[in-house]
Amino acid sequence: MEKKLMPLKEAIERFVSDGDKVALGGVGRNRCPMDAVREIIRQGKKNLHLIGREKGLDFDMLIGAGCVSKVSFALISLEEFGLAPNFRRYAQEGKIEIDEHACGSIINSIRASAMGIPCIPVKGFIGSDVLRHSKTIKEFICPFTGEKLVLVKALNPDVAIIHAHKADEYGNVQLFGSPWEDIYMAKAAKKVIVTVEEIVPHEEVKKNPHLTAIPYFYVSAVVHAPRGAYPTSCDSYYNYDDEHIKEYVQLAKTPEGFQEYLKKYVYKE
Amino acid sequence: MEYKVSELMISLMAREIKDGDKVLQGLYSPMPMIACLLAKHFHAPNMVFFNTADAVDPDPSEVPFSTAGPKLQENCVAYLPLAEVFDLAQRGELSLIFLGAAQVDMYGNTNLSVIGDFSRPKVRLPGGAASAFLCGFMDTVIWVPRHNSKVFVEKVSFITGQGYINGWDTRERLGIPKGGPRKVITNLCVMDFEPKTKKMRLVSVHPGVTVDDVVNNTGFDLIIPDEVPTTEPPTKEELEFIRSIDPNNVRELEFK
Repeated sequence: MEKKLMPLKEAIERFVSDGDKVALGGVGRNRCPMDAVREIIRQGKKNLHLIGREKGLDFDMLIGAGCVSKVSFALISLEEFGLAPNFRRYAQEGKIEIDEHACGSIINSIRASAMGIPCIPVKGFIGSDVLRHSKTIKEFICPFTGEKLVLVKALNPDVAIIHAHKADEYGNVQLFGSPWEDIYMAKAAKKVIVTVEEIVPHEEVKKNPHLTAIPYFYVSAVVHAPRGAYPTSCDSYYNYDDEHIKEYVQLAKTPEGFQEYLKKYVYKE
Repeated sequence: MEYKVSELMISLMAREIKDGDKVLQGLYSPMPMIACLLAKHFHAPNMVFFNTADAVDPDPSEVPFSTAGPKLQENCVAYLPLAEVFDLAQRGELSLIFLGAAQVDMYGNTNLSVIGDFSRPKVRLPGGAASAFLCGFMDTVIWVPRHNSKVFVEKVSFITGQGYINGWDTRERLGIPKGGPRKVITNLCVMDFEPKTKKMRLVSVHPGVTVDDVVNNTGFDLIIPDEVPTTEPPTKEELEFIRSIDPNNVRELEFK
């Protein structure tokens, strides 16, 4: 087994390229790979195509920092803190390409990618304008039952970035609590970066193999990043920091304010 | 016992859940989250409660602000990724989901995507989460914390979540076999859909609200039956339970 433990800077330099399709783990303001997001912004990556289900701060920051040319999503919002300001600005100004999905299509697109198939049949969508505007969801009649369904294109992410709880230096990842699409994402992407709260000895993995959610061979890089999901939550480790998110919302109201936020919280590291 | 409209709406949403139902609560769904816990605690002990924390049947000491937050995992029996809850849904085994909306029209179509042109919108909304998928084959209950004529419009500018499309038998003609919005629960009233035309119809007005209040705040002609009863308020036991699991007023989030 190859040792894959490396600093965050190296992981992002080696495994995230301009133009990549990048799937980000977590949901809402919970267990999002925020340290990695900040590093991508510092390295000034460009033309990323972000893929995720119900995303917030992570997508909004990358969009506002000019790293993103396209988004595939079911929802981008800051929950009770309102609409995501950068996403809204960029979408309204036509500065990013919109590939709007629903949770059921984005998740199954990731699953199809993991299964190595070009598309997957899914129920629903008929009658929705989401289908009418989509280039990645198409109406389809089942050749066996005659049912009207849709086919969802496999988005085949180039890289998945996940924040997890523990891993060994080889990339055997232990994930506790809500899994969301993170495990499917790791299996769907060509390259996988996992940031973790704790690095554990390999022996510990061997003693508890039932805890390994993502085995080493899927993983390209392991990064030790305690509090790496901050200001989003990480299960029993820490909760989301709503005061920080409120400050974000205040500052990101304007592009200038958002730059101030970046200076204060991203470029200082 | 005095109560807030959030508590009334929670109690009304809980009443939509039958014992044995499998119910899904989504992201930024504070009232549905509490309604699911309420139903399971009282009249629906055998319901299966799924949510955006991927936790099956959680029994938290208090509810979190983020409805996918770590607190909602407390005392759950298992984790089930949403992918597999959706598998259940496609197999016809999910009973109900609660969905929100920025706009709702007379046929229960909802918009959470854009106001204006899709590629250069006047307002880019967050996206419909599960709507376009689940509204295409499932029973839904729509909740609206602010009943006004900006939300309740004649025709939504974009159908994110399918209601009855153009009413009557449009769903069947499009090949949508079943499902659709069952009820619309707002801060003023409860509404359902007249079975033939699939037009929205007033069911009851909340205590202190008049039929005129509802009509004046709805941007289309609502069907008003001859008799419009007053909504049954929450019970003392329901209120005590809601307040005990929500000491931080998560239920008030959508009214701020």
